[in-house]
Amino acid sequence: MHDPTDHRPDPDALLAEMQRVERAAQPGRLFIFLGMSPGVGKTYAMLEAARQRQREGLNVLVAVVETHGRSETAALLKDLDVLPRRHLDHQGVTLDEMDLDEVLRRRPDLVLVDELAHSNAPGSRHAKRYQDVLELLEAGLDVFTTLNVQHIESQVDIVQQISGVAVRERVPDSILDIAHEIQLIDLSAEKLLARLAEGRVYLGERADQAASNFFKESTLIALRELALRFTAERVDRDLEDIRRARRVSSPWKTHARLLVGIGPTPYAESLIRWTRRAATRLDCPWIVAWVETSAPLDTTQQDTLNRALALARRLGAEVVPLTGDDVAASLLYLARERNVSQIVVGKPGTRSHRRTLTDRIIEGSGDIDICIVRPTLAGSVKPDTNPGITSIESNATSADYFKAAAVTLSTTLVFWLLLPVTGYVFGALMLLLTVLVAGLRFPRGPVMLMATLAALGWNFFFIPPQYSFYIQKPEDVVLFGLFFIVASAMGHLTTRLRQREAAERRRQRETAALLRVTQSAALAAEPEKGLAEALRLIGEVLRAEVALFVRKNDRTLPVAAHAASDFTPDEKEHAVLTWAYDHKQTAGRFTDTLPQSNATWFPLQTATATMGVLGVHLGPAGRLDFTTRQTIEAFALQLALVLEKEHFIQAVSAAEVFDQSEKLRRTLLDSVTHELKTPIAIIKAALEGRALTDADTGDPYLLEIQTATERLQRVVDHLLSMTRLESAVLQPAPDWCELRDVVDRARTAAGGGIPESSLETDMPTDLPPLRLDANLLGQALANVLHNAAFHTPPGTRVELRTRLIRPGQLRLVVRDHGPGLPRGDEARVFEKFYRAPGSPVGGTGLGLAISRGLLRALGGDITARNHPEGGAEFTLELPVEVDDASSSLSM
Amino acid sequence: MTALIIDDEIQIRRLLRLALEGRGYSVKEAATGETGLQEVAYHRPDVVLLDLGLPDLDGIEVLKRLRDWSDVPVLILSVRDQESVKVTALESGADDYVTKPFSTAELIARLAVIQRRRSTSSEPVITVGPLSLDLTHQEARLGEEPLHFTPTEFALLRHLAGNVGRILTLNQVYHSVWPAQQSDPGPALRVHINHLRQKLSPAIHIENEPGIGYRLTVVDEKEK
Repeated sequence: MHDPTDHRPDPDALLAEMQRVERAAQPGRLFIFLGMSPGVGKTYAMLEAARQRQREGLNVLVAVVETHGRSETAALLKDLDVLPRRHLDHQGVTLDEMDLDEVLRRRPDLVLVDELAHSNAPGSRHAKRYQDVLELLEAGLDVFTTLNVQHIESQVDIVQQISGVAVRERVPDSILDIAHEIQLIDLSAEKLLARLAEGRVYLGERADQAASNFFKESTLIALRELALRFTAERVDRDLEDIRRARRVSSPWKTHARLLVGIGPTPYAESLIRWTRRAATRLDCPWIVAWVETSAPLDTTQQDTLNRALALARRLGAEVVPLTGDDVAASLLYLARERNVSQIVVGKPGTRSHRRTLTDRIIEGSGDIDICIVRPTLAGSVKPDTNPGITSIESNATSADYFKAAAVTLSTTLVFWLLLPVTGYVFGALMLLLTVLVAGLRFPRGPVMLMATLAALGWNFFFIPPQYSFYIQKPEDVVLFGLFFIVASAMGHLTTRLRQREAAERRRQRETAALLRVTQSAALAAEPEKGLAEALRLIGEVLRAEVALFVRKNDRTLPVAAHAASDFTPDEKEHAVLTWAYDHKQTAGRFTDTLPQSNATWFPLQTATATMGVLGVHLGPAGRLDFTTRQTIEAFALQLALVLEKEHFIQAVSAAEVFDQSEKLRRTLLDSVTHELKTPIAIIKAALEGRALTDADTGDPYLLEIQTATERLQRVVDHLLSMTRLESAVLQPAPDWCELRDVVDRARTAAGGGIPESSLETDMPTDLPPLRLDANLLGQALANVLHNAAFHTPPGTRVELRTRLIRPGQLRLVVRDHGPGLPRGDEARVFEKFYRAPGSPVGGTGLGLAISRGLLRALGGDITARNHPEGGAEFTLELPVEVDDASSSLSM
Repeated sequence: MTALIIDDEIQIRRLLRLALEGRGYSVKEAATGETGLQEVAYHRPDVVLLDLGLPDLDGIEVLKRLRDWSDVPVLILSVRDQESVKVTALESGADDYVTKPFSTAELIARLAVIQRRRSTSSEPVITVGPLSLDLTHQEARLGEEPLHFTPTEFALLRHLAGNVGRILTLNQVYHSVWPAQQSDPGPALRVHINHLRQKLSPAIHIENEPGIGYRLTVVDEKEK
């Protein structure tokens, strides 16, 4: 139980916090310049900040900035590197968009992307610009962006109420959650209006009614409050994060959890947004649940529901589908099971006289709080149905109604002919039977029509006096009433039974298919055949064409689809599926990423790996509703697991073979090492013995042998290192060390070529201990230093600069002041046995190749260039672990 | 003093014999692991030079068997230069490790170090250059200056100074101070070693051989 006197932070929360901090260290950081409306100077502030960063030495790239013809903004762009836009042709119109691929290729330190809420032109990779930004962040680039508060998804309906303007371009709140920093650009309404009057505010292409509505003082004040409050909440949360991380004792919130039940009504979205805002304020998780009843949904409802569920996912909710006809009971069951503290429901419409869903939830809620919210709708439509409840509508066609009427009339006719023989009560029973049977065949509407027609027909044709709706005997009136009730009740019950049965069948079919997919794929003697069978089954269940791409052993996707696929994607489609595979996200049709494709692509994702992609082509009329999506995801997971298992089996047997050959190679390498080094050791020892015993150490023959032996030893060392590198015997063994030790050892190992006096070392004094393989790095650095000394006149100055260019990335730069590298051959110096023209004799041509091999084995790389001011410059970069704890200790 | 050379290369044995006899050692030789072990038992040498690549037994195996019944100082002399091999040898009981091709002068110096350590290990006062550690009173002096150490630092320094000139693996250093603990020795050691370095510099140097361990050396006045 939660003890109020317990001041220890919840370990889960701490872990989550640590993971959040850790995550924040890896990808790029997002800086948002937030404003209440256009015209407050966000872009200006962003450019100012970017220029500052550029002055600090960062590589800044302007991917998109809208100056809207404002000269002071344009002036700020002058010294910045502005990327040309990409031109897209869409139905004869040329549209300019950010060149995402070019930004990713250039990898600047900081990217400027104006107007986060922008929707991309059709044909772009992502539907929304914020998705581009997410991709940039994922690639490790820092991003500056601007945003107006009205575009934040959870604030949309409030803004709409304030301004009366519908906001179409929205960004999910989750992107604000990942922001490293949100900077509020504040301006009073008065000043903004003054700017507006001076014509210094860009109102978009349509400076019309909507805009003038927006820029009213009252509206602006309200928007400003919204922006300020939003930022304040964020600051609050940051403070909370810091407290939690520092274990400052503070009142810990009880564990709140919100649950909102939605139905396929237009109000659902507003309920979801309300809950998201409440959950943010409470800083608690929230669940969006919808109850699938046995009543099928029509197309509009299905669309509404899908949109609402997509919104919930975007806003970060946990979406839980439930099934059952008692909506209230299902919601309450979920609430209990998940320890929900508050249930959010929509306020029922005023016309409802019956006991509403809300009433029933309140009755059964016990100690759970119920929050009744008045949902709003864009425009002026008044709520007229209970927003939480699915209104049961059947999807009958007019043909069904016609058939139902015909069946009733013909039955009536038959028993009217038999009336003299059977009597009129028998006719009633027969008509009831007809309605009952029809209930198993027709949807609800036609059945109700039948019930009505049958009742009226019975009255008209059977009950005396015949051929009139007048009923003579009082008991016949009762009989007629009973007939009508029984007929309609029976019709209703049978259709419901049938619907439930259909839903059950569908679920059963899916479960059975899932089972068969698993069995056929996992248990097949030949994995290829099993996979083909599984694919066929999936296509059959989904009634769609499917395609499968299984990743190759090098973790890339093949060009051709799996042989059992139903369709072959073209080049464009291939780009979509590659994207889905690379980003581990569903892409293509019905998604926000590349929605113009024909098929939807699901990554085959297990906990540890992405095994490929599954493409589903649902046909032009197909739709991807939530249930179908879940089914496909379940299939995808099964396929992924089967493929992963297959992969492991292969990997194990490959590893066995590899182990064998590895052992052989090591033995061989050891014995070669022994055979080569022993004679050298003997020669060296003999030479030393000679020099020690003889007085004349200046024997010229001995000196020649000595020089040659040293050269031979270097060649042998290099050859053995190269062999070890290439046979992948080399396993980095990272350990904590001081970089200074590594550099000292490298200098010693580089040989007599580099005296301490000619090496200038520039190393931060507060460099914390690093975790890396000091021997491999030392050897790599020694070769580079040796190379610098070898190719420059004796006594030439060599500089070594070391920096942590960002947490976890170490850079060492070795620069000499010699003649530099041969022009045009800068990259070739790392090739094996490459020797620069005119270089002194005695080099092995392997030193730098080994350095590169070593750095790559360490996960880094080495590059070379000629310094603009002369001399060669080598840059070694590699990932390291940094000991933050000890650096803060030493402070 | 007797030195035993266990190496299958006759040329190496001959050269080592020449170098060692020049310094007053009497030298015994063995070409295989088995004969090497017999020679140790028979001649009781003062120091053993052991090659790892022997025709019959692996050198590590010879070392392990030897350590069952003898604590004679052992210097490994091998062409294998991978850190993992060095660590294994040191933790199996070797006193030092020299890779071939070697410098004869360095080899002789290392031999002297491991033998000196053996002769001083039971004294109540450890003296290393200007540093003296009084084990009974837990007091340390550098020259005339008294030094203050925490108990952990003193234990660490005692172990390092008792093995002056000799490389100790991370695990060996760690377990000498915290015998019972089983965790990654790196981080905790690093902090204490840094403190020791600050207090002992510049007269005493604690050298780190990445991937292997630490070695305490006296900074020679002549070198400076």
